[in-house]
Amino acid sequence: MTSETAGTIRANERAKKLVRRRIFSVVAHIVLIAASICMLYPLLWMLSASFRPQDEIFNSNSLIPSSVNIAAYVRGWASGLQITFATFFANSFIISILSVIGNLAACSLTAFAFARLKFWGRGFWFALMLGTLMLPYQVTLIPQYVLFRNLGWVNTFLPLVVPKFLAADSFFIFLMVQFFRGIPRELDEAAMIDGCSTFGIYWRIMLPLSLPVLVTAGIFTFIFTWDDFFAPLIYLNDMKNYTVTLALRSFVDSSGESDWGGLFAMSILSLIPIFLFFLFFQRLLIEGIATTGIKR
Amino acid sequence: MSFRIDRRRFLMGSSAVLAAGAAGFRPAFADDTNLRQIFWGSKARADRTFQANDLYTKANPATKISGEFYAWNDYWPKLATMTGGGNAPDIIQMDYRYIVEYANRQAIAPLDSFVGKELDLHDFDQDQIEGGKVGGKLFGISLGANSVASIVNTKAFEEAGFPVPDNNSTYDDLMAAGEAFKKANIRGGMKAFQDGSGVEPLLENWLRQRGKALYTADGKLAFDGDDMVAWFKLWKGLRDAGAVVGPDDQALDTGPLESTMVALGKAAVTFANSNQLIAFQAIVKDPVTIASFPRIAKGSKGGHYRKPSMFWSIAGASKLQSDSAKYLSFFVNDKTAAPVIGIERGIPCSASVRDLIAPGLSPQDQISLHFVSNLGDLIGPIPPSPPANAGEVDTQLITASQEVAFGQKSPEDAGPEFVKTASDILSRKG
Amino acid sequence: MTVRSIDGGVAAAQGAARASAWSKFWHRNAAGYGFLTPWLIGFFGLTIGPALISLYLSFTDFNLLQAPTWVGDANYLRIFTADPKFLQAMRVTFFYVLFSVPLKLAFALAVAMLLNRGLKGLPLYRAVFYLPSLLGASVAIAVLWRQLFQGDGLINRLLATVGIEGPSWISNPRYALWTLVLLSIWQFGSPMIIFLAGLRQIPGDMYEAAAIDGASKPRQFWSITLPLLTPVVFFNAIIQTIDAFKSFTPAFIISSGTGNPINSTLFYTLYLYQEAFGFFRMGYAAALAWILLIIIAVFTGVSFLSSRYWVHYDE
Repeated sequence: MTSETAGTIRANERAKKLVRRRIFSVVAHIVLIAASICMLYPLLWMLSASFRPQDEIFNSNSLIPSSVNIAAYVRGWASGLQITFATFFANSFIISILSVIGNLAACSLTAFAFARLKFWGRGFWFALMLGTLMLPYQVTLIPQYVLFRNLGWVNTFLPLVVPKFLAADSFFIFLMVQFFRGIPRELDEAAMIDGCSTFGIYWRIMLPLSLPVLVTAGIFTFIFTWDDFFAPLIYLNDMKNYTVTLALRSFVDSSGESDWGGLFAMSILSLIPIFLFFLFFQRLLIEGIATTGIKR
Repeated sequence: MSFRIDRRRFLMGSSAVLAAGAAGFRPAFADDTNLRQIFWGSKARADRTFQANDLYTKANPATKISGEFYAWNDYWPKLATMTGGGNAPDIIQMDYRYIVEYANRQAIAPLDSFVGKELDLHDFDQDQIEGGKVGGKLFGISLGANSVASIVNTKAFEEAGFPVPDNNSTYDDLMAAGEAFKKANIRGGMKAFQDGSGVEPLLENWLRQRGKALYTADGKLAFDGDDMVAWFKLWKGLRDAGAVVGPDDQALDTGPLESTMVALGKAAVTFANSNQLIAFQAIVKDPVTIASFPRIAKGSKGGHYRKPSMFWSIAGASKLQSDSAKYLSFFVNDKTAAPVIGIERGIPCSASVRDLIAPGLSPQDQISLHFVSNLGDLIGPIPPSPPANAGEVDTQLITASQEVAFGQKSPEDAGPEFVKTASDILSRKG
Repeated sequence: MTVRSIDGGVAAAQGAARASAWSKFWHRNAAGYGFLTPWLIGFFGLTIGPALISLYLSFTDFNLLQAPTWVGDANYLRIFTADPKFLQAMRVTFFYVLFSVPLKLAFALAVAMLLNRGLKGLPLYRAVFYLPSLLGASVAIAVLWRQLFQGDGLINRLLATVGIEGPSWISNPRYALWTLVLLSIWQFGSPMIIFLAGLRQIPGDMYEAAAIDGASKPRQFWSITLPLLTPVVFFNAIIQTIDAFKSFTPAFIISSGTGNPINSTLFYTLYLYQEAFGFFRMGYAAALAWILLIIIAVFTGVSFLSSRYWVHYDE
């Protein structure tokens, strides 16, 4: 075979591969776009409903509203009371950010212990930790309420935030444990030989290598906390302390007058901060670790 | 690209967050009298209530009222948690269905000692006062009288060419309307009426017209298997004739107003309460009006009764019962507060207040007012307060009616079964 | 004197041995317990108390408004012998777990793998697929789902274009539960993100090395991706299963807390909620809760035992 034919053959193969790649890419995009429409349709409906007059929301069949009107947004923002949604957004933001800090700190410490350190009773505590995930909250609600009431924490943010600093979210402990266990132990051992303390291993090896899971945990904490309505419902009394999700529920009264337009409008607005938070931090998931610290 | 947080920026950022958050960490301190109030409803109701509260504080500067409100579904777990945790607000909005439970467990306080003193009820409707009594003692002040009512889509009836139902309509008229709608086939097959077989107030209304009732004074069932068989048969006949919506559509109605048949456009009549007319009009494009529940025959009477739509009660553990009672009295009597409160919670029970606000009401409010005041021979005596677990019987009725509607059970079987299950529910302790 | 000093020496040595045994124990475990401190405080301060109280309540009649009264095992007896709603709730919940968890995980993994290939517009797609999960417990979802799945809703109109006449999915007792399964799958964003994070943590040079050795793409998936992904698969499977058993909000919102039509959407925790807050039977609800906990614990325990055979940790 001459080098020319060999070259042509290789060129043909490369061309074939390119075409296959293109086809795959196009097909993938079609599938993804179709799936995206399915994902997005309900949200588009909500967006459309937020611009409609109230008596049209439940009987119209098309996505496009007959007239576009931002009255619902204005009405919803003012919320009809002395407090505007700005307060609610601020409250939600504060609680969510603090929860992120608390969760990341406390859960990573706990997960490091479970994943990396040997100590007597480790399996027992791990089982208990998972066990706390399994009890439905409806039954621990009243005793917990009494506890917080005795501490004088009712009607403050404390019952919502302090548990995060005490690693109450077993979900994240478990998540981090699984990720920590995927990191090779040789790194720890190498560091120990170099005279690194246990905390040093945690701080300088584990955490930097776990950026994907930490970012994930941070995003999830923010979103779960933002979306949680039950804890704020039970523990917050004063309206000026309400979170966005709790305030949203006051738009609708199933037995009487409701402001559906306002609800949908504010729901859309409420999605924006968490969506932005997600978009911003998910870049870290991309940057993540294409190569691990082995090369580092 | 690696992500590094500048340590200083992190500290500054987090201390800013903490400082801002500290505002949420300091519990409120009370200087003067601080009454806490809780109610269910939406912003429309909250606006009115808080305005009324402001008026009260203007008249009584040493008293502040902090109110909180929640959607119906959230209200009851919140209230139960606060009560169970010893933290219930002083002024509690109560519902007919729960007042018995709360009263019997001393979670709300008897108000008899305040009547005539802090609590002025001299021109209050007597039946509304009776409606707030449990075991002979007064536990709630009625915030408005309402009655069960059919919500009617007048435009749909016009299109179908059948006279709009009124206070004289009977179940036979219901069937006739059904036929008319079937023939007219408007709006993609809209039916005349919703399927009412699972609507407990409708069942009660029907039983009362037959000389029976839902419950006896000592908390037992006041109807039997034969009644229930007749009831289920009645609605099966209507369903089979296509006069009322089928099971698939009716099951869309899970309780909230926006899921009812009139709101969804599947039927022209829904069975609800007279004080919900405005709420319905807000979500239905066509004009709606109200009429009574159907009579079982021409001239049949006694099905309806005026009941309290909701109450103000005072927490059993409240330390400010006297002040709360003063507020209650203000709410139902004060001439400046009355126009603000309107008839959003129901028709005011004080005759002078009614006369005061009637002229200022919108036409649709006037319809509600007129309806409740002019039920005439439709009204029968007010029933005794329902026994504990009555709510569960209501739930069971819905399930039973769905079983019949979807063809899982025949009316002949479902009737006695329902009676047995209901009796078991009532006799269950704890 | 020598004997005494020897005695003293032995005693001193024994004391020193005991002291060093303790200090060895301390040494070995201090780090672990040190790191565990926040969790221990939280557990003993905030969690264990209410949990034990709820266990106590399960043996009482507690109507929320008055003090509980002891009834022994009456609640448990009733659950196991005389409660058709309990059986219905179990049926509904097991069905839901059985179908929603595998489907949700399959979608999540498939989409995560698709997105991990570095397609153009990747961040946008990722955000779009995660958006439904952001809606959480919004009341709006009930309205949306009804609009989609009722008799003349969007889904049926779509089906009509291919000649299928669909029932009213959301209000028919035979199909209502499926709409909830679909709702769960629709919100697959969370496990998808976790799978993505797991995929990102697999070092790229492993794929390079394999490619150099001549391994094909599918081979790479089975030999590299999947094994290294097993800890994450395990996590997602456990968490989604526990969540599915405890699922409350979707059924609560869509059926307005009724569990209808004909209790076909009566999730276990919804039934529990009805008993606790609807009918003032918190003691009974507590018994239901502990039974659920035991069921979940058994499931999880078996999963952990089986994980030894298929989960691969790089340790």
